[in-house]
Amino acid sequence: MIKLTGALLILFAGTMIGMFYSARLAARPNQIRQLVHALQRLETEIAYGYTPLPEAMIRTAAGLQPPVSDLLGLAGASAGEGNGQSFQQCWEEAIAVNWPQSAMKEPERLILRRLGTTLGISDREDQQQHLRLALLQLQAEEEAAREDQARYGKMGRNLGILGAALVVILMV
Amino acid sequence: MRRDAMELLPGELKAVIGRLAPRTLDGIEELRIREGRPLEIVSCGQSRFACEDGTLHRSTDRAYRPGREVCRQLLERITNHSLYAMEEELRRGYITVPGGHRIGLAGRTVLEGGKVRGLREVGGFNFRIARARVGAALPLLSKIVDWPKQTVRSTLILGPPQQGKTTVIRDLARAISSGEWGTPAAASWGGRKVGIVDERSEIAASIRGVPAFDVGPRTDVMDACPKAEGMMMLLRSMSPEVLIVDEIGRPEDADAIREASHAGVRVIATAHAYDLQDAMGRPALRQLLEDAAFETVVLLRRGEKGVRFEIDSLDRHAQGHGRRAREPSGEVQAIARGHPGPQTDSRPAHAPV
Repeated sequence: MIKLTGALLILFAGTMIGMFYSARLAARPNQIRQLVHALQRLETEIAYGYTPLPEAMIRTAAGLQPPVSDLLGLAGASAGEGNGQSFQQCWEEAIAVNWPQSAMKEPERLILRRLGTTLGISDREDQQQHLRLALLQLQAEEEAAREDQARYGKMGRNLGILGAALVVILMV
Repeated sequence: MRRDAMELLPGELKAVIGRLAPRTLDGIEELRIREGRPLEIVSCGQSRFACEDGTLHRSTDRAYRPGREVCRQLLERITNHSLYAMEEELRRGYITVPGGHRIGLAGRTVLEGGKVRGLREVGGFNFRIARARVGAALPLLSKIVDWPKQTVRSTLILGPPQQGKTTVIRDLARAISSGEWGTPAAASWGGRKVGIVDERSEIAASIRGVPAFDVGPRTDVMDACPKAEGMMMLLRSMSPEVLIVDEIGRPEDADAIREASHAGVRVIATAHAYDLQDAMGRPALRQLLEDAAFETVVLLRRGEKGVRFEIDSLDRHAQGHGRRAREPSGEVQAIARGHPGPQTDSRPAHAPV
């Protein structure tokens, strides 16, 4: 009886792990897509609206979903507070706080951190160039993420169940 | 130094400034921040280098030297992390921040078609602390009222740089607009509609079109606008009774002023000139003076005790061979000005200080 319960629990856990893994894989391209939209919006605010960066961040965040909106919102809010921090510091902090909640991986993080070193501290064209560069890189990542999802999404789920089944068989 | 100015400084620099003696802190006129070079503080008319512990010295040996990171943070703070939104300001070479302080910038310029498009890599900041002296112009205003018309006479204010011309016309705008004529006899006149053309954002120090200084309740400000054009725009759109402009001297300024005076609008303008003779040497000013566009000329002198006005009424009607007859005894007026001056700043003042 206990064995049966244990086996069921293991099966359940394995399935869940597989589901979680594939859900993360599925969420990643979507979140990158959100980020791409955010950068496009930001580019408009900066290049055509001349909106000050903290305000542009907050405005951009308003049209998005978490965790990307939280990231931008936090960066904008702490830059706007004016406690003497540079924007880069605010940005890094916002990334550090929000990254664990996101499904995104290291390449996106690197792209964002690199963008943070340039945002707000050069003229319009320069800003536009940096934003576009980051945009292109993110789009490439998005594509890769979609491929990953197609390739490993189903596999992850199946692997979870099958792995759990294997453990159960070995136990019995 | 006012708190709003302090708030703009990055932590390290703020700490150094915070350690200055209170008297020095109150009297700060300029902070000169140069990357990698000694921090210079101009306070109470004296220029000194500041050490990390807040002491001031003539020599640069032990002076505090702000580093690259501090300068970068400062630039970010004063541009609100948005250098790209400051293109116009960078082209002009200074940024006006909340509170009316002006920060002059020096660095490497970016050229486009041989013209300066902006600044990149800013290495020097001149933080000019603004302070409005509410009431500074009242002794002058009482001397330039036009009694029959119940307004002010068109006045040209002359003085070398750094004599407080801008401070005076800022307070004139406030006083005329709020109806403080400086004499009890005129108390019932009320204020006049005032238009300010603030080409260098010095008079009203507008932030997003809203004046940071108290320039009076009936005052409209055309910010960062070329003077001649701004005067015409105000004449057309805002029907001012008194126009106030800073540092006239170009021929087109003269045309606009003539236009205004024909429309019955009183003009109060300043110009860089030591005295009337000096002003006569500048073609545009001379033309204006000869056309009697101004009824009064005021010479501004900043002495040990404060700002002194020498008023010279140019009488429109009494004249021989086209020269204005000058009132033989130019009135001399001195305002005592205790250093560093009562800081009423941009809050409205109901009583002259």
